[in-house]
Amino acid sequence: MDDLQFRRAIYADPNNPDADTIAAQQQDPSKKQFAQEICQLDEKIMRALQVPVPEGLAEKLILRQTLASHQVQKRKTRVHLALAASVAIVGGLMLNFMQFSSAYNNLGDYALAHVYHEQGSFANNATSLVTLASLNQKMATFDGNFSQALGKLLFADYCRFDGMKSLHLVYQGKTSPVTVFIVPKNEQLSFSPDFNDKKLFGSSLEFTHSNIIVVADKNESLELWQQKISETVSWLI
Amino acid sequence: MMTKQVRYEALVKALHGDLYRYAYWLCHEKQVAEDLVQETFLRAWRALDSLKDEKAAKSWLITILRRENARRFERKRFEMSEYEEANITDTQSITTEQELENHWLREKIAQLPPEYSEPLVLQVLGGFSGADIATMLDLNKNTVMTRLFRARNQLKEALAAQPEKRGMYNG
Repeated sequence: MDDLQFRRAIYADPNNPDADTIAAQQQDPSKKQFAQEICQLDEKIMRALQVPVPEGLAEKLILRQTLASHQVQKRKTRVHLALAASVAIVGGLMLNFMQFSSAYNNLGDYALAHVYHEQGSFANNATSLVTLASLNQKMATFDGNFSQALGKLLFADYCRFDGMKSLHLVYQGKTSPVTVFIVPKNEQLSFSPDFNDKKLFGSSLEFTHSNIIVVADKNESLELWQQKISETVSWLI
Repeated sequence: MMTKQVRYEALVKALHGDLYRYAYWLCHEKQVAEDLVQETFLRAWRALDSLKDEKAAKSWLITILRRENARRFERKRFEMSEYEEANITDTQSITTEQELENHWLREKIAQLPPEYSEPLVLQVLGGFSGADIATMLDLNKNTVMTRLFRARNQLKEALAAQPEKRGMYNG
């Protein structure tokens, strides 16, 4: 190991000499002295580098971290709360929507569904009849009046027609009962003048405050029913 | 199993001194050094889970601190000025011969170009090997060794050239 190489090695890292530099020191006293000098220099450098650390720095660091993580936690709980509130609101809206929105969007569809739902309840040849007087009593709710009976009235009562209080009349028909609904006007269901499916067909009559819907099987003449209704019904307003 | 808090506090207690000194030699200003250390430990806290090997903690923290220091220059480019000797002045009154020498040598170290002083601080103060320093500074190991050689060489020459008597002598 030549002198320059030795000096470079010692200067670069005086405290961790490799095997070659140790061997070189042992062979040459002047090299050993040089190495010692540089080690002394390093001690001085070491002392000089050890600038005083500000008092309480460690405590400050811990304090700052504690405060910071506390803030983060607070922010997190706020976020969680906001999330929970949002979920609750969305859930509430969904429930509202599902409960109070109509599954049908026109009068005809709903009327057909209603008739099918209650099909079994009425027999065409039932003997108990409803009188014109009790029908008109019920019609008073809708400010309406029938001047004479449309036919044999088997059943007359209020029922829910898509959430609206309406009058459900069942008349004896030629082969199966004829259903008449008196329904207050509502914007949710669009007016459908004529509608039908495979078995039943129906038509709606529009009056000022109410619609009258007739649903019957294909053997009935809806025009006749409509005509009779138009002739006999009268409205107070 | 240590909690994160316990790990963090242990890390602070063990290494805040070394880190502060390293920061000081990087920026030569006490207040800035303290701010850098604060930022570094705050970042370290956030990323503490990524520190798997406790032995690597020191070099990990130093890497964070160097990045913080670089960011400082990005933020306030206008403050990037030549090193001023006034900044390094130690406010402590110099009494003993030992402290006088320390003070004088500190000025000499501060006057070294940063590319020389940084590996020197890492080696002497941090106790890192040449290879470690090369990794941390993203340099070739030979480059690091050359810079260490030049740093010590310059300090040795400065010491050799120093006046025999310095400081204030009364009487």
